Amino acid sequence: MKFFSAFRKKSPWVLHYNAGSCNGCDIEILAALGPKFDLERFGVINTGNPKQSDIFLVTGPVTYRSRERLVELYSQIPEPKVVVAVGSCTTTGGVFRGMYNVEDGIDRYIPVDVYVPGCAASPQLIIDALVKGLDVLEAKSKEIEHPFKLFGTIEMIGNKLSRLNMAKKVEQHEKN
Amino acid sequence: MKKTIQIPLGSQHISLLEPIRFKFECENEKIIGVDADVGFVHRGVELACTRSFEFKQVGYVVARVCGLCAITHSLSYTLAVEKLLGYEANDRIKYLRMLMVELDRIHSHMLCLAHTAENAGFEALFMQIMGDRELIMDVQEAISGNRVQFDYISIGGVNRDMTPELTALIHKNLRLLSDKIDALIGLFDNNWSLSLKYKGVGVLSLKDAYTYNALGPLARAAGLATDVRAETNDFPYETLGYQMILESSGDIHARNFVRLREIVNSMEICRNIIDNLPVGEIQEKAKGKPNGEAVVRVEAPRGELFYLVRGNGQNMLERVRIKTPTFSAIPAMMEVFKGSEYADAPAILASFDPCMSCTAK
Repeated sequence: MKFFSAFRKKSPWVLHYNAGSCNGCDIEILAALGPKFDLERFGVINTGNPKQSDIFLVTGPVTYRSRERLVELYSQIPEPKVVVAVGSCTTTGGVFRGMYNVEDGIDRYIPVDVYVPGCAASPQLIIDALVKGLDVLEAKSKEIEHPFKLFGTIEMIGNKLSRLNMAKKVEQHEKN
Repeated sequence: MKKTIQIPLGSQHISLLEPIRFKFECENEKIIGVDADVGFVHRGVELACTRSFEFKQVGYVVARVCGLCAITHSLSYTLAVEKLLGYEANDRIKYLRMLMVELDRIHSHMLCLAHTAENAGFEALFMQIMGDRELIMDVQEAISGNRVQFDYISIGGVNRDMTPELTALIHKNLRLLSDKIDALIGLFDNNWSLSLKYKGVGVLSLKDAYTYNALGPLARAAGLATDVRAETNDFPYETLGYQMILESSGDIHARNFVRLREIVNSMEICRNIIDNLPVGEIQEKAKGKPNGEAVVRVEAPRGELFYLVRGNGQNMLERVRIKTPTFSAIPAMMEVFKGSEYADAPAILASFDPCMSCTAK
């Protein structure tokens, strides 16, 4: 089962926020979580809590009142995080583009990693986007695992990290 | 010392599909006051319908007011414009439009049942109903080409025709679904743990339903006989086996039961439509520009949907006014919350089947 081994690395938890969509994409996300498409086999669980989630699923073209909440939720998700924009109106504004209370897509406010087109985005596309999001998530978490890149090579004593030498390096870096 | 505590629910919450914020004034576990804020998803569709889009395009724009009852929105708008153009659709078009509206009602009611079950803590029941719902989604995709936002209705007709293969598919899926709905009716009626969460919870009395202008399944569960399908004669519902479904107790159980029995009735209507589909064109020329004012009422899954369209003989309309069922039913919803336990609030809320993107537009 080479296909599934890639997904076992991480079971991403999903936070869903409706930033002014028409419900079309939201019910498709529910359908994707349901038994026919069954996102849960990849370990995806829909949580309501931003502090426990990895992937941020946003639907809707961002209305004037929802943008503060959108940014607030985004900043509460711990790193590494992936933002998936579900639906045409989330990516560009779609049919709502230019309406007076609409901000034309979420990438004006938060960085987006995966865009999903479609009105409404089909569950198959949402699954594809989440699988793509997993790759991004893996790449991002690798970057976080190597913070010592900043300070050149890692100082080792035997096969252990030398804390003293690393601390000296950090001190040197801060002086410069 | 202050006797009550305020508990907020929303605008982002696991039990909510859409942003709505409630402020519950609680005394211990009992809710004694509710304040609701529904305007998070206001986009300004009504204004854009008169400024940015021509009247031929508006039908597809108003469908994006709500994804769940998209077809009823485009149907009501199309009916209003066709009234202004002095055009009346032939029987085949009427039947096909009715078919999609009833299919949409089935899938919307099933989503509401699933969501109510999830919010009351029955995760497995949620999955079961969502799985059964896919039968209807498959039919919708086969007929219209899209699962949710099917732009099936256009001014002067419908966009795709019925074929014998589709007829066979619809018959097959409705037959499969009908067994599952029968099983669900038995489950909702007899299951003991479901009855603890549903029976006697969130009661709306008949008097309150009348006073606070409840609509749709919410009103019919309380015994208030209001259904636009019975009141208007835009569509031949009476000849196709439509029945008014009424319950009397007005609690969550009654609302679920109204929905379940309406699904059964809608399946009956769908079968009758397919068996008695008249012959004719599916797209006819509706010429001219809308001039004057027209009012249309259509029964959406949540209640009466009201459209006012005013044109002045130009390509752009003068006014499009949309009054959605959830907007009218908000006072009744507020009344139901008072006196119930806070722990039941998400299930009660889901049992109203609220549609905020309809309400805020």
